[in-house]
Amino acid sequence: MVQKNIRNFCIIAHIDHGKSTLADRILEYTGTVSKREMAEQMLDSMDLERERGITIKLKAVRLTYRAQDGEEYILNLIDTPGHVDFSYEVSRSLAACEGALLVIDASQGIEAQTLANLYLALDHDLEIIPVINKIDLPNADPVRVIKELEDSIGIPGDEAVLVSARTGQGIEDILEHIVARIPAPKGDIEAPTRAMIFDSHYDQYRGAVAYARVVDGTIKVGDIIQMMSSGRKFEVSDLGVLRPNLVRVESLGPGDVGCLIASMKDVRDTRVGDTVTIASRPATEPLAGYRPAKPMVYCGLYPVVNEEYTALRDALDKLQLNDAALTYEAESSVALGFGYRCGFLGLLHLEIVQERLEREFDLNLITTAPSVVYQVVLTNGSMMEVDNPASLPPITSIDHIKEPFVTASIMVPDEFVGAVMDVCQDRRGVFVNMEYITPERARLEYHLPLAEIIMDFFDRLKSRTKGYASLDYEFMGYRESKVVKLDILLNGSPVDALSCIVHQDKASSRGRGLAEKLKDVIPRQQFEVPIQAAIGNKIIARETVRALRKDVLAKCYGGDISRKRKLLEKQKEGKKRMKSLGSVEVPQEAFMAILKVD
Amino acid sequence: MGVYVHIPFCAQKCNYCDFHSVVVGDEERFSSVADNYLLSLRQEALYYRKIWGQEPLDTLFIGGGTPSLLPPDKLAAFILFLREELPFVKHPEISMEANPQSLTAEGAKILKDAGVNRVSLGVQAFQDDLLLAIGRIHRSEEVGGSVLALREAGITNINLDLIFGLPGQTNEDWVKTLEAALELEPTHLSCYGLILEEGTPLTTWVNAGLVEVPGDDQQAVMYETTCRMLKAAGFEHYEISNFCLPGFRSQHNLLYWHNRSFIGLGSGATGYIQRLRYRNAADVDGFMETWNEGIPYYEESATVSIEQEMDETMMVGMRLLQGVEEEWFRNRYQVSYWELYRGAIEELLQRDLVEYKEGWLRVTPTGLLLENQVSSAFLR
Repeated sequence: MVQKNIRNFCIIAHIDHGKSTLADRILEYTGTVSKREMAEQMLDSMDLERERGITIKLKAVRLTYRAQDGEEYILNLIDTPGHVDFSYEVSRSLAACEGALLVIDASQGIEAQTLANLYLALDHDLEIIPVINKIDLPNADPVRVIKELEDSIGIPGDEAVLVSARTGQGIEDILEHIVARIPAPKGDIEAPTRAMIFDSHYDQYRGAVAYARVVDGTIKVGDIIQMMSSGRKFEVSDLGVLRPNLVRVESLGPGDVGCLIASMKDVRDTRVGDTVTIASRPATEPLAGYRPAKPMVYCGLYPVVNEEYTALRDALDKLQLNDAALTYEAESSVALGFGYRCGFLGLLHLEIVQERLEREFDLNLITTAPSVVYQVVLTNGSMMEVDNPASLPPITSIDHIKEPFVTASIMVPDEFVGAVMDVCQDRRGVFVNMEYITPERARLEYHLPLAEIIMDFFDRLKSRTKGYASLDYEFMGYRESKVVKLDILLNGSPVDALSCIVHQDKASSRGRGLAEKLKDVIPRQQFEVPIQAAIGNKIIARETVRALRKDVLAKCYGGDISRKRKLLEKQKEGKKRMKSLGSVEVPQEAFMAILKVD
Repeated sequence: MGVYVHIPFCAQKCNYCDFHSVVVGDEERFSSVADNYLLSLRQEALYYRKIWGQEPLDTLFIGGGTPSLLPPDKLAAFILFLREELPFVKHPEISMEANPQSLTAEGAKILKDAGVNRVSLGVQAFQDDLLLAIGRIHRSEEVGGSVLALREAGITNINLDLIFGLPGQTNEDWVKTLEAALELEPTHLSCYGLILEEGTPLTTWVNAGLVEVPGDDQQAVMYETTCRMLKAAGFEHYEISNFCLPGFRSQHNLLYWHNRSFIGLGSGATGYIQRLRYRNAADVDGFMETWNEGIPYYEESATVSIEQEMDETMMVGMRLLQGVEEEWFRNRYQVSYWELYRGAIEELLQRDLVEYKEGWLRVTPTGLLLENQVSSAFLR
């Protein structure tokens, strides 16, 4: 296909604004998938994605569309993740496109992620087609949304397409807009080959599969390709396009989007953002600058029973095949034994990995409270990075500590501005700016410690704003901060896995809150369990889990022994999910309790 | 070995109870249902007669539901039928459950003549407000009359079922209940801590915050009160919830605690025959229909492996205060429980939940109130 008949586009939206449904309708309309084969929300293929209603791994689908001008076009739809944890992946998929559909819910209006994604798209010089979705809903207010578009972004309202992805209304309009307004790719077929990897996944039969956008030149089956970041070379065994199932092709030319199979053994060989070239005639300059995704949040993952340690390592190995952003290294804890310190892009990423480990690999895990990476400057002038409270050096050797800050953008209806300010203030936020997108909607900008963001910040924000607030944030840098280590003692012994790093001003209230919370989540045991919170040698809070007085089944259920057995087995199963620390049985949620403390 | 018969009929459902029973309608309709049900029971008994073989049966327990709702003559005829057709010993223990309000001296006499020699009365409490709160239909003053009627008929082995931890019940209420029960001079007392069973109205109300029941700590106090008072009154505490005068242990319930085989008959009943554990579907109409065709209607049935049976023998055996004798277990299974459960037993010993003395492993006073942790230690 000649480049002039190719359009590469993506869909960007705030979470829940209907991106996946819109993608489904487009696939259906262009006949890429028939209604019959259409599982609800075709592009979200992982169970978890469907359950959570978010798209985790982006994919690319090739559609063919005969436009009203009579010509046939290839439309490559590149899906993007909708969550802030994955903004680097969003930016890579944007780089593979020339245009973007900006989907806005007709009843919700513009949200923080809409703007964040839009700015990213503008950074990549994409042609923006605003799509106002869900116009069939009774509370839809497209006129207000159009006004928001004009006022806040300066996009002329008459460029917006009104659709209902649910009913299919307006889908053809979108396709015509794509053909008419999104520029065709302008690659140089004669130049040395350059293709950008914007996604990859691990297939147990084929190895790592890279999804790439060819910018210049051509890649053919049999070519020896080279990764420009690592210099590693592989022979291309297969090329394909997704329609949405893999269809083999012999070559991919400029402007094409497809997948590339070249006996690469894991996804670390196919780093997102890397440039692929041909070894025999390599390009000199890579495409956009490649940077590895950097973990921002760390936590310990430990098997509840030590015997599962090897299984956990194997599972992490397997997950990493598909998730280059996941990092892990062995660590050990006095309380929990052997486990792994794992790094994640953010909390959602952490939760997804944890859930997949438990669900797909049937592991029983303890997750310790997530921590950010602190920069600890020692009295001797050297600096160390600490991502685990347990490895904070003794206070006497610390000169000062720096913690990561983010710039947070929060959008909220006018009436909740006060509530947002309260929450941000309470979380050590520094006010930067406030502007009104429309007379009713404000955008606030704060500098906030990342450590506060991962402490249930978004949930708190949501509950204080009746669910209206939307949040986006990006890393801004490190700042000096007065933080201290808070220790927890159970039965008089410190439990390293329950330690956390908190700001000095909040240490006592967090310590009290955590002790209270632990009292609620640790079940009563044969003996009473004292819980203490301490900073250094100073005890700042104490609670007691009272001894269990009674745990007995009165009846024998008329000889129904299997019923009794089942009841006891259920009880025993619950116990298995707990970790024995000395003589204290501690449930998994205890290790995350700090997140729920205000 | 014994036979359990389930009579799943009640005049009214008590709101804490999750045993299988249906509320009977008017007398005429119930009479025909009862006839059909007893007929099906006979067919089921004949079915198991073949499978059971000749092993002697020492006990028969008729439970419910409310067995005393059945016309005494019909129930008596059924008991005689069972004694005729199944290999019962000459003088089996024959127990039946009864509601205090549904017993007359004449009825008791008929049953006594059919062999009933032990009656368990569902008394629960001696305060009418408490009885009302749990949906019982009898009044506390009726209990004395029932006991008299039984004695008049010659049935002197009498158990009273009592419950502690009822909505609004205080420890004083419970002490009064125990005193009133002792005054009637029963041979046996079953004292159950209330369990909030899933799906019962009471559980729904408690979960909704409409009704409050004493918590575990209060139940523990009531239980300790029970042990103390009944011991002082000369009762032997022989199983977690059961107390008796010397020589009056429930032979049928001992069968369960020794994990022996038994034939279970009736809708919703469980049985254990040649290591097949079965539970009949809790469906009165279905029960009658399938036995018309002469086939069982199980909700669940599975053969228990010998390993599983050993676990279960320990699980139920440890409910007995005398414990489980090492020699008895070894004679039965040709292996010592020390060999099978050493790690678990040692942990229990270390936690002071059990003790091992003169060849018997038994719960300690601490272990008694935490018995689930003892029993579950034997589930591999």
